[in-house]
Amino acid sequence: MRVFIDSDVVISSLLSSKGAAFKLLHATDIIPIVSTTSLKELRIVCKRLHIANDAFETLIQKKCTVIPLQIKTQNRYKKYVLDPNDLHVVAGATSAKALFLISYNLKHFRVENIKNDLKILCMTPALFLQYLRSN
Amino acid sequence: MLQLSKNTVYELISRGEIVAKKIGKLYRIPTASLSFLFTGIDYDLYQADTEDRKNLSIIEREITKARAGK
Repeated sequence: MRVFIDSDVVISSLLSSKGAAFKLLHATDIIPIVSTTSLKELRIVCKRLHIANDAFETLIQKKCTVIPLQIKTQNRYKKYVLDPNDLHVVAGATSAKALFLISYNLKHFRVENIKNDLKILCMTPALFLQYLRSN
Repeated sequence: MLQLSKNTVYELISRGEIVAKKIGKLYRIPTASLSFLFTGIDYDLYQADTEDRKNLSIIEREITKARAGK
Protein backbone atom coordinates (compact mmCIF):
# COMPACT_ATOMS: atom_id res chain seq x y z
CA MET A 1 0.00 0.00 0.00
CA ARG A 2 1.55 3.27 -1.14
CA VAL A 3 1.39 5.97 1.52
CA PHE A 4 2.82 9.48 1.18
CA ILE A 5 4.24 10.74 4.47
CA ASP A 6 4.34 14.44 5.34
CA SER A 7 7.48 15.77 7.02
CA ASP A 8 5.84 16.32 10.42
CA VAL A 9 5.19 12.58 10.64
CA VAL A 10 8.79 11.67 9.76
CA ILE A 11 10.16 14.11 12.37
CA SER A 12 7.67 12.89 15.01
CA SER A 13 8.83 9.31 14.46
CA LEU A 14 12.40 10.39 15.13
CA LEU A 15 11.51 12.25 18.32
CA SER A 16 9.49 9.49 19.98
CA SER A 17 9.40 5.73 19.57
CA LYS A 18 6.13 5.58 21.51
CA GLY A 19 4.19 7.75 19.10
CA ALA A 20 1.82 6.86 16.27
CA ALA A 21 4.25 8.22 13.67
CA PHE A 22 6.94 5.73 14.75
CA LYS A 23 4.43 2.85 14.72
CA LEU A 24 3.30 3.87 11.25
CA LEU A 25 6.77 4.11 9.72
CA HIS A 26 7.67 0.73 11.19
CA ALA A 27 4.48 -0.98 10.04
CA THR A 28 5.32 -3.80 7.68
CA ASP A 29 2.35 -3.64 5.33
CA ILE A 30 2.87 -0.16 3.90
CA ILE A 31 5.35 1.59 1.61
CA PRO A 32 6.09 5.00 3.14
CA ILE A 33 6.97 7.54 0.43
CA VAL A 34 8.62 10.95 0.68
CA SER A 35 9.71 13.28 -2.11
CA THR A 36 13.08 14.83 -2.85
CA THR A 37 11.60 18.21 -1.88
CA SER A 38 10.47 16.80 1.48
CA LEU A 39 13.91 15.31 1.96
CA LYS A 40 15.55 18.74 1.65
CA GLU A 41 13.27 20.32 4.25
CA LEU A 42 13.60 17.27 6.52
CA ARG A 43 17.38 17.64 6.57
CA ILE A 44 17.03 21.31 7.56
CA VAL A 45 14.48 20.58 10.30
CA CYS A 46 16.52 17.65 11.69
CA LYS A 47 19.53 19.91 11.99
CA ARG A 48 17.53 22.64 13.74
CA LEU A 49 15.94 20.19 16.18
CA HIS A 50 19.29 18.48 16.85
CA ILE A 51 18.09 15.12 15.58
CA ALA A 52 20.98 12.76 14.88
CA ASN A 53 21.72 12.72 11.16
CA ASP A 54 22.49 8.98 11.26
CA ALA A 55 19.09 8.16 12.70
CA PHE A 56 17.39 10.24 10.02
CA GLU A 57 19.36 8.85 7.09
CA THR A 58 18.91 5.26 8.34
CA LEU A 59 15.15 5.77 8.61
CA ILE A 60 14.95 7.14 5.07
CA GLN A 61 17.18 4.42 3.62
CA LYS A 62 15.59 1.48 5.40
CA LYS A 63 11.94 2.44 5.59
CA CYS A 64 11.10 5.03 2.94
CA THR A 65 10.92 5.26 -0.82
CA VAL A 66 12.09 8.62 -2.15
CA ILE A 67 10.47 9.92 -5.35
CA PRO A 68 11.74 12.80 -7.48
CA LEU A 69 9.53 15.86 -7.71
CA GLN A 70 9.50 18.63 -10.30
CA ILE A 71 8.83 22.12 -8.96
CA LYS A 72 7.32 23.26 -12.30
CA THR A 73 4.26 21.05 -12.06
CA GLN A 74 3.31 21.92 -8.51
CA ASN A 75 1.12 24.99 -9.22
CA ARG A 76 -1.73 22.84 -10.47
CA TYR A 77 -2.31 21.73 -6.87
CA LYS A 78 -2.98 25.25 -5.53
CA LYS A 79 -6.63 24.58 -4.89
CA TYR A 80 -5.80 21.74 -2.52
CA VAL A 81 -3.78 23.72 0.03
CA LEU A 82 -4.26 26.83 2.15
CA ASP A 83 -0.56 27.70 2.20
CA PRO A 84 1.31 27.59 -1.13
CA ASN A 85 4.40 26.36 0.75
CA ASP A 86 2.55 23.05 1.29
CA LEU A 87 2.01 22.50 -2.47
CA HIS A 88 4.83 20.00 -2.75
CA VAL A 89 3.13 17.65 -0.29
CA VAL A 90 0.03 17.20 -2.46
CA ALA A 91 2.21 17.15 -5.58
CA GLY A 92 4.36 14.43 -3.99
CA ALA A 93 1.37 12.30 -2.98
CA THR A 94 -0.06 12.52 -6.50
CA SER A 95 3.28 11.87 -8.16
CA ALA A 96 3.81 8.84 -5.92
CA LYS A 97 0.39 7.47 -6.92
CA ALA A 98 -0.31 7.21 -3.21
CA LEU A 99 -3.69 6.16 -1.89
CA PHE A 100 -3.12 7.97 1.40
CA LEU A 101 -1.52 11.20 2.54
CA ILE A 102 -0.51 11.03 6.19
CA SER A 103 0.02 14.29 8.03
CA TYR A 104 -0.56 15.91 11.41
CA ASN A 105 -1.29 19.15 9.62
CA LEU A 106 -4.61 18.24 8.00
CA LYS A 107 -6.12 21.66 8.62
CA HIS A 108 -3.72 23.09 6.04
CA PHE A 109 -5.06 20.79 3.30
CA ARG A 110 -8.43 20.80 1.58
CA VAL A 111 -8.98 17.16 2.38
CA GLU A 112 -12.41 16.83 0.74
CA ASN A 113 -11.13 18.23 -2.57
CA ILE A 114 -8.07 15.97 -2.40
CA LYS A 115 -10.31 12.98 -1.75
CA ASN A 116 -12.81 13.80 -4.52
CA ASP A 117 -10.44 15.00 -7.26
CA LEU A 118 -7.21 13.10 -6.58
CA LYS A 119 -8.67 10.01 -4.87
CA ILE A 120 -6.19 10.37 -2.01
CA LEU A 121 -7.37 10.00 1.58
CA CYS A 122 -5.77 12.37 4.09
CA MET A 123 -5.40 11.05 7.63
CA THR A 124 -3.37 11.40 10.79
CA PRO A 125 -1.02 8.49 11.64
CA ALA A 126 -3.25 7.12 14.43
CA LEU A 127 -6.37 7.23 12.26
CA PHE A 128 -4.52 5.46 9.45
CA LEU A 129 -3.27 2.75 11.84
CA GLN A 130 -6.87 2.30 12.98
CA TYR A 131 -7.89 2.02 9.34
CA LEU A 132 -5.27 -0.72 8.84
CA ARG A 133 -6.61 -2.59 11.87
CA SER A 134 -10.17 -2.38 10.58
CA ASN A 135 -9.33 -3.83 7.19
CA MET B 1 -22.76 11.47 27.65
CA LEU B 2 -22.58 8.63 25.13
CA GLN B 3 -25.97 9.50 23.61
CA LEU B 4 -26.93 5.88 24.16
CA SER B 5 -29.79 4.49 26.21
CA LYS B 6 -29.06 2.49 29.35
CA ASN B 7 -30.34 -0.68 27.65
CA THR B 8 -28.04 -0.16 24.65
CA VAL B 9 -25.02 0.21 26.96
CA TYR B 10 -25.96 -3.04 28.77
CA GLU B 11 -26.36 -4.74 25.38
CA LEU B 12 -22.96 -3.48 24.19
CA ILE B 13 -21.41 -4.78 27.42
CA SER B 14 -23.05 -8.20 27.03
CA ARG B 15 -21.85 -8.39 23.39
CA GLY B 16 -18.32 -7.50 24.52
CA GLU B 17 -18.22 -4.28 22.46
CA ILE B 18 -17.68 -2.32 25.66
CA VAL B 19 -15.34 -4.02 28.11
CA ALA B 20 -16.71 -3.70 31.63
CA LYS B 21 -16.37 -5.39 35.00
CA LYS B 22 -19.35 -5.95 37.26
CA ILE B 23 -18.49 -5.17 40.87
CA GLY B 24 -21.45 -5.88 43.12
CA LYS B 25 -24.49 -4.52 41.31
CA LEU B 26 -22.62 -1.91 39.27
CA TYR B 27 -20.68 -2.13 36.04
CA ARG B 28 -17.32 -0.36 36.03
CA ILE B 29 -16.08 0.68 32.60
CA PRO B 30 -12.36 1.50 32.18
CA THR B 31 -11.47 4.62 30.18
CA ALA B 32 -9.58 2.48 27.68
CA SER B 33 -12.70 0.64 26.59
CA LEU B 34 -14.54 3.91 25.83
CA SER B 35 -11.71 5.37 23.77
CA PHE B 36 -13.09 4.23 20.43
CA LEU B 37 -16.54 5.68 21.17
CA PHE B 38 -15.09 9.11 21.89
CA THR B 39 -12.12 9.33 19.52
CA GLY B 40 -12.72 6.78 16.77
CA ILE B 41 -9.41 5.10 17.57
CA ASP B 42 -8.33 2.37 20.00
CA TYR B 43 -6.87 3.44 23.33
CA ASP B 44 -3.27 2.46 22.50
CA LEU B 45 -3.44 4.50 19.30
CA TYR B 46 -4.99 7.40 21.18
CA GLN B 47 -2.05 7.31 23.60
CA ALA B 48 0.42 7.11 20.70
CA ASP B 49 -1.29 10.08 19.05
CA THR B 50 -1.10 12.06 22.30
CA GLU B 51 2.61 11.22 22.60
CA ASP B 52 3.31 12.67 19.13
CA ARG B 53 1.27 15.80 19.78
CA LYS B 54 3.58 16.77 22.67
CA ASN B 55 6.26 17.80 20.18
CA LEU B 56 4.02 18.88 17.34
CA SER B 57 4.03 22.65 17.85
CA ILE B 58 7.85 22.77 17.70
CA ILE B 59 7.91 20.49 14.67
CA GLU B 60 5.26 22.47 12.77
CA ARG B 61 7.04 25.74 13.54
CA GLU B 62 10.36 24.47 12.15
CA ILE B 63 8.73 22.91 9.08
CA THR B 64 6.83 26.13 8.33
CA LYS B 65 10.10 28.08 8.56
CA ALA B 66 11.95 25.60 6.35
CA ARG B 67 9.15 25.68 3.74
CA ALA B 68 9.16 29.45 3.72
CA GLY B 69 12.93 29.41 3.19
CA LYS B 70 13.66 31.15 6.51
